Formats: sequence, C-alpha cells, structure tokens
Amino acid sequence: MRPCGTFDERYSQDMAIFRIKRHWAVLIGALIFLYTFPLYGSYYFISLLNSLSITIIIVLGLQLVSGYCGQISFGQAAFMAIGAYTSAILTAKFGFSFFLALPISGIVAGLIGLAGGAPSLRIKGFYLAMATIAIHFVIMWLIPHLDITGATQGLHPPPPQIGSFVFDSDETIYYIIITVMFLMTFGARNMVRTRVGRAFVAIRDNDLAAEVMGIELYRYKLLAFFISCFYAGIAGSLWAHWIQMVHPEQFTLLHALNYIGMLIVGGGGSIPGVFFGVIFLRLLEEGVMFAAPLLASVFPWIGIHPAASMSVSVFGVVLILFLIFEPRGLAHRWEIFKASYRLYPFSH
Amino acid sequence: MKDYSDKRKEVVMKMRKIFLGVIIVTFLFVIGVIPGHAQKEVTYLSLADYTAAIAGLNVPADMGCEDYIKDMNARGGVDGVKVKFIGVDTRYDVARGVSAYKRYRTEPKLLVANAIGTPIGKAVAPLATKDKIVTLVPGDGEFQANLGRIFVWGPTYQDSFAATIDWLVADWKKKGKTGMPKLGYISWDNAYGKEYLRGGKEYAEKMGVSLAPPEFFPAGSLDHTVYLTRLAKAEVNYIFVGGVDPTPTNVIRDAHKLGLTKTIQFFCDYWGPTSLGVRLHPEALEGVVIVSYYLRGDDARNHPLANLWMKYGRGKLEDMNEVYTIGMSWAITFEAALKNALKQVGYKKLDGEAIFQAYQTLTGTERAGLQGPCAYSPTSRRGSLEVRFYQVKAGKVVSISDWIKAPDAVSLHKF
Repeated sequence: MRPCGTFDERYSQDMAIFRIKRHWAVLIGALIFLYTFPLYGSYYFISLLNSLSITIIIVLGLQLVSGYCGQISFGQAAFMAIGAYTSAILTAKFGFSFFLALPISGIVAGLIGLAGGAPSLRIKGFYLAMATIAIHFVIMWLIPHLDITGATQGLHPPPPQIGSFVFDSDETIYYIIITVMFLMTFGARNMVRTRVGRAFVAIRDNDLAAEVMGIELYRYKLLAFFISCFYAGIAGSLWAHWIQMVHPEQFTLLHALNYIGMLIVGGGGSIPGVFFGVIFLRLLEEGVMFAAPLLASVFPWIGIHPAASMSVSVFGVVLILFLIFEPRGLAHRWEIFKASYRLYPFSH
Repeated sequence: MKDYSDKRKEVVMKMRKIFLGVIIVTFLFVIGVIPGHAQKEVTYLSLADYTAAIAGLNVPADMGCEDYIKDMNARGGVDGVKVKFIGVDTRYDVARGVSAYKRYRTEPKLLVANAIGTPIGKAVAPLATKDKIVTLVPGDGEFQANLGRIFVWGPTYQDSFAATIDWLVADWKKKGKTGMPKLGYISWDNAYGKEYLRGGKEYAEKMGVSLAPPEFFPAGSLDHTVYLTRLAKAEVNYIFVGGVDPTPTNVIRDAHKLGLTKTIQFFCDYWGPTSLGVRLHPEALEGVVIVSYYLRGDDARNHPLANLWMKYGRGKLEDMNEVYTIGMSWAITFEAALKNALKQVGYKKLDGEAIFQAYQTLTGTERAGLQGPCAYSPTSRRGSLEVRFYQVKAGKVVSISDWIKAPDAVSLHKF
C-alpha cells in the first residue's frame, strides 16, 4: 500500500521499491549507520551483526525456495556446509583468493542443490521434506569421511586479503559481510518481482494450475533449489572465513530447523519477513543467553542450568505461539502496522 | 477536517519523539556508555552444553564448579577476590559458543574460558589466544603437541587409551594367554571419537596389540548392533567404548543383548558409565572397566567435598553424578592459579597473561585428591598424568587400581 497522497504517474514509479523521498532517506540513513557502525560499535555487537547478516543470507535462500516456491527444504545447513568447505578448500589448499572462492562456493552449492531439487518433481510437502533431510545426512556423512575436507578435524581457511590488507578481525570482515548481504537482499527482492518470481508464486499457490498455464514446473523448481543453495553456499563461504574454522559439527539438522523457524516467525513469502524472523529469534537467543546468569544470580533457587537452558524452550514456545496466533509472521504484523499508520485516523 | 489534521499532527509528533528516544537509548547502549559496576572480582566463563550432546557430562560438572566457587566465595574468596561463575548454554553449537565468548569477553577480569566441547574449543581458542585468556578443553592431544594458552583437563585422551592398552596387556598375560590380544574400538563419528586413535593407534602398534578396524557411529544412534557385530566378527578380545554417557551404557547394553559381554572385556573412557548408568543396567555393565582421571563411584561420594552436593541442594548423595567432582577440580585449579597470580601481580594488574603464567606454575598442586597432582608447566598442558581404573561389580563402580601414570601417546603422533 502506498503512503497517503502518493500516486504513480509513470511505470517506473509503479515499479519502484523505494517510492518516496522518506523511503530513500531511511535507506541512506540505515546504510550510513551500518557502514559507520564499526567506528563506534562494541566488538560484541559488530560480531552479532556479522552473524545476523550471514544468517539473513541463508534464510533469504530458504525464503525463495520455501516461502515463494513452496518447496520445503531441510537441507539448508548442509548446503551451507558445502559452500563453507568449498571456500576453505579453495583458499587453504589451492591458494585461491577469497573473492574468487566466494562465487565459486555459491555455484558449487547450487549445483549440488540440484540433487536436492531433483525429487521435487515427483514428491512434495512432507515427502519432499524427508528427501531434503536425507540429503542433509548424506552430505554431512560424506564431509567428515573425506581427506580433502580435513575429515573430523576440519579446516582452517585464511582470512580474506586484498594486497597486504587482511580482513582478520570482526571489524574488518564486517564490511565484506554487510555488502554481500545487501547485494543478496537486493537480488532476492528484485527476483521475486520478475517472471521467475511470479512463476515461483504460481507453483506455490497451485502447481497444477501453474502447469496448465504453461509454467515448466520442473525447470522452475530446480531453479528455486539452485538459487536457494547458491545463497546458502555464499553464506557458508562468509561463515568459514569469518570464524576461520570449518568443522562438520557446525552444520547440524538443528541449524536447518532453526532457519525454518525463522521463516515461520518472520513470515513466508516476504523478503522483509526474513529480516524480522532472523533478527527476532537471534536477539531472543542472545537475550536469553544474557539474562540467564542474571536470573540465576537474582533467583538462586532456579539454578544456573535450568536458566541457561531456557533458550531451547523459549524457541519452541515462540514458534508455537506464532503458528497459533500469527501464522503469517511478523511481516504480516508489519504490513498491518504500516497500513494503520498511513491511513490514520481512518480505519480503512 | 481541520480537527482531524491537527490531531494527526500531534500523534505524528509524539511518535517521532518516542522513536527518537528509542534511537538515542539504543545508540548509547550500543556504544557502551551505560557503565558496568566495578567490583573486586574475577570472572570464570563456562561455554557449556546443558541441553545437547554432552549435557550428561556438563551439567553435573558445572554444578560442581559452581558449588565450589560459591563455597569459596562464602569463605572470603581468594585473598579477598571473589569469583564470578558464568555458565552459558552453547548447545554444543560453535556459533553460539563463539557468540557467547564474544559477549562475555568484556566481563571484568575474565581470566578463563572453559570450552566444554572439542569444536567449540578449537573455534574459541584463537580468539582467546588473541585476548590472552586461558582456555580449558577436555582432552585433545593437539593442545599438548602445540603448546599455547589452551590447557587440558587431565591426561589427554590418547594417553588414557595407552594406559588402557597397558592394562589389557597385563590382563591378557594374567589370564595365561599366549600371543597378543586384539583390541576393538567403537566411538562417536566426530573429532572427539577419533581423537583417542591419534597417538593411541601408534601406541597399540608399539606394544604389539593389533587393532581391529575402528567403528564409528553418529552421536545420536539408538542402536549399535551393526557396529558391534562387525567387531565381534573381527574376533577382538577387548573393546574400548567411547562417547559421553549414556552412549557407552547404551553400546554395552546392545553388546550384552548380543551376548558379547560374556566373551569380550569392555572398557570405557573418561565419560563412560557413571553410577547412575550402572543402576539402570547393572547386569549389562557388570565387569566393565572404566579408565578415569577423576574419582568415581563411592570414592567420589565418600570424598569430603561431596558434601557440597547436599549443601547446595542438589539432592541425595547417592544420586550424585561422579562428574560433579571434575567441576570442583577445575575450580580448585583456578583457585590455586588465581592465588599465585595475585601474589605475583596483585589485583589491579591481574589479567589473562598473569593467570596464564600462573597456570604454568601449578606443577604438583594437589586438588584434594579428586584427580592426580597438577602437571601444568611451561612444557605441559596436561591437567594431570595419572589415571585410575574402576570396574563395575555387583552394580557398583569400584576402584581396581591406584593412580597409575599414563604413557605419553601424544608424542607418537604427528599433529
């Protein structure tokens, strides 16, 4: 919904994501804030932003395949692992530059993701979910059993480097991560407005009708998986060079479940929903982690361990509450808020 | 219309003020303007696992650490300096572990980070090294081979495996058997599970003990029949079972169902069946030998410090998990290092570097008999050198040896 009094007089205005000057001001303000954050932000918050950005990229990929195309995927963590290990092997063992390894990791993850998408023509829903879980286990079994991946000891990829400048701290690699995150978001936001995005939505809403209309189901489903896994691979590469260590136990099925949870809480079929879901759940986790020792010291009868373990139950409770009371996620709440704000004092 | 427009303007102004206020508070919070409280205390951080794969080990261990620290603080701390214990549930997840470390690294006088799991330890180690904070890890030989700021809790995993090989060779000869025995190995399919063989395999070869192809299973496996059947087919005489309890209990339970416990002697590592596991499967676990670097069974429950279990309301003494004593051992070691560091530099100059130097002076320090004397030194990151063997007999875990020096298997492997 457009702000009150905003009328489109040209096609370019109709297509614009940032329609009015206020939107541009907020965007530019946010960019300035984020790009200058390392100058005044604390180490912890910079690191948190790095983690959030990488997670946003992963969940953006998941949003495209699950939220827009309706193909549920529990393999996102495994494809992230593919990207992470590809990047680590290319840089640590073959001396590739990080900036070359990054897109290659995405492509490799995307190509392997086609294997995840292959069953999607024949099966859907629960059965496709099981197939993606199976792919997760296949990939995560292979990784620790190959010598090139360092087996169970993992790999130590070097930090990104341009000339003599090394991005070996949170504050420096932050700029790479944030930039990639913005580019991936820009790509996703525009993709869903194109023919491909409309095909995804048509498949999600009614794949039979979409096929009747002439949309090649298999082609677009495979494309959705490829793009989703490409995003996961890019995130994996960033992760590997940020943490500077890749290990099979960093990519578990629980992580994949977490990403699905972020999608549910944020809202399926919405790019802003990805941001809402990731930020909400990660901050909740961090908040519980921060609050637990405080809680245990103020109420010693709780004990540090039940207090510290709250995050598991809190995640579950939050997910259930959202599924019951707001299945369309925080993105829907945001749309309602925007509409009410723009229409005030009118109700409709 | 005019009324509506004015009202709208008022509301918009109010919302803008609130929004600006939120931005300012967030900004101040982010740049850390809001000050913390300075106290004469130091911080001990536990990057723990309270809900995931190794919760069975970590929950009671951290209870022991926390209770000892509470007791120590109640007695006035270490030369007047109190210790703040922070336990964070990382759920055995590297991202959470790293995030928790980064969140708490700015805690006043953070001196030690106890990274409970191997992958978290490896991820946090370079960060802690950069911050000059001491890191504790379970038993990886890599940290003894490459000396740094990472200290191991006791003898390394491979050292304990080597000690077990010595034990089984002696047992084989005691039974009047000729030739050399064949040993099987079964454990988790991860870095911890494979760590024992990095040095342990070489020691077995050195001693002439043949090793069957090792079996590895996913950490969450519920059934181990297939792996055990393969080991039985390999005609092993002894099987070493890895994994954190209840895994070894479940493995041996499966072996018992297959009838293997009658013909094969089973061993468990440090994290093997506790008395609680033995209570659940006494018949299956009968005769199992456990190699341990800390007190087990009634030795642990009869120790004077075990009273802290009841003092801090953890329950009945017979329900005390022996791993509780490991946590107390960490705390006692930290207390000794802190005492030394305070003597050397005083509270104001106390930092990670001072505690690191202090840890290296703890050679020979006793931990009230909970484990062997401390072996930390400028050339050693082992928490102690001695192990003890226990055996499950009539539903109880009883000691069958005194403290024995474990062989150095770390030096046999190229890390």
